[in-house]
Amino acid sequence: MYEAVHAHPDGSATAARFAATAARTGYDGVVIRARDATPDYDAVREASGIDVVDAAEVVAPDPERASGAVGGLRPEHTLLSVRGGTDRLNRFAVEHERVDVLTRPMADDGDVNHVLTNCAAENGVRIEFDFGPVLRSTGGERVRALRGLRKLRELVADADAPFVVSANPASHLELRAPRELVAVGEVVGFDPETVRAGLREWGALAERNRHRQSESFIGPGVERGRRDG
Amino acid sequence: MKHLPKHLQPRWRYLAVGLEAWPDADLTRGDFQRAVWYAAGNLLGDPGSADADLRVLSFEFGAGAGAAVVRVRRGEVGPARAALACVSEVNGHPVGLWVRGVSGTVRACEERYLGRRAGVRAERRVVFENDRRRGYVRDGNVDVAGPKGFTGAAELDLESEST
Repeated sequence: MYEAVHAHPDGSATAARFAATAARTGYDGVVIRARDATPDYDAVREASGIDVVDAAEVVAPDPERASGAVGGLRPEHTLLSVRGGTDRLNRFAVEHERVDVLTRPMADDGDVNHVLTNCAAENGVRIEFDFGPVLRSTGGERVRALRGLRKLRELVADADAPFVVSANPASHLELRAPRELVAVGEVVGFDPETVRAGLREWGALAERNRHRQSESFIGPGVERGRRDG
Repeated sequence: MKHLPKHLQPRWRYLAVGLEAWPDADLTRGDFQRAVWYAAGNLLGDPGSADADLRVLSFEFGAGAGAAVVRVRRGEVGPARAALACVSEVNGHPVGLWVRGVSGTVRACEERYLGRRAGVRAERRVVFENDRRRGYVRDGNVDVAGPKGFTGAAELDLESEST
C-alpha cells in the first residue's frame, strides 16, 4: 500500500523523512507529490527500503493554466495529479487521459456529478478520496468534508470509476498507518477493502506508468521485445 | 461497591501507541488523555465514545518521542484505532502516532511492543538547504529548526559541512 505525501518545501518534512516514517508504519511505498521538491529518489529508495515514486501535483487557479502545467510536467514525472476544487478544474482533470489522479475534488467550491465520474471512468482518471479533513479538522468543516466524501463515494461506485485514497499528509506527523486509515474509513462508511484498494492503486498506477515510460513500450499492446520464430 | 463476578467484568484490549512530535513539544499524560477523549467524542459520538471507553494507562514522552498504553473495551479496537488516528494535535502541538500492536494484558503490551525505548537524541549543528541550522538527531532522523518552525528530515537530506 502506498501513501501520497506533500514533501518539503511544499510540506514540512522531506521526502527522505516521509519514506522513513512510512516504512515504519507499514507502507510499501510513498508517492512524492512534488511541486518544488527535487529529492534524490534512488538514494531515498535505498535508505528507506520502500518504493519512492516521483510525482507532481498541478495546482492551478483555472484549467487554462493547469493545461500548460500538465503538458510541461507529464514527461518528467512518473505520476501526475491535478488538484481540483472548482467545477471547471474537476471537469478539466477528468477529461484528460494524461492526468493520472484528480485530487481533492470536493474541497473548497468543488463538486462532482455523475457526468464527471462517468467521464473519469472512461478516461481512467483516478478520483481521490481525501481523508485529510476527516483526520485533522473538527466541527462544521469536518461535517462538510464527510458529506462530500459520501456523495463522491456513491457516485464513484455507481460509475465504477477508478479511485485512490490518501490522507494528504504535509508532514511526517500527519502520516497515518494503513490500518488506521482503514479503521477511520470504516467509521465514516467506507468498506475496508475499498480503502485498501485505494491505497494500493497508487502503487499500481506507478507501476503502469513506469512500464509505459520504459523503452520497450511503444503503445498499449505494442511492445519492443525479442522476436520469436 | 463489591466488585463484579469474573464473567461480568468488562474485557479489555490494550493498544501500544507510538508517539512523535517536534522536539520542542511538551506533552503530559493528561493532555494526551484529553486529546484522545476529544477525538473519540468527535468521531464516534457520545455513544461510540462510551462504548470504546478509551483510557490512557501509561504514558511517557520526552524530547519529541514517546509511547503510551491505551485501554479499550474488547470488540471496539477498530473504532479506537480510528479515534486515535484522528488525534492530530495534543495541547496545540502537532503529533504523529501509530498503533504498534494490540494485546490482551498490559504486561504483554509493554513487553512485546514497548520494550525498546526511543533512541538517544543528540543535538548538533547541521547544514540543510545551504544553511547552518540546529538539528535534533535520533535514529538517523533529524528535525531541523528553521525560521518557519521545524522541518522533518533524514540524514540523507543533510549536506556535509565544508568549513
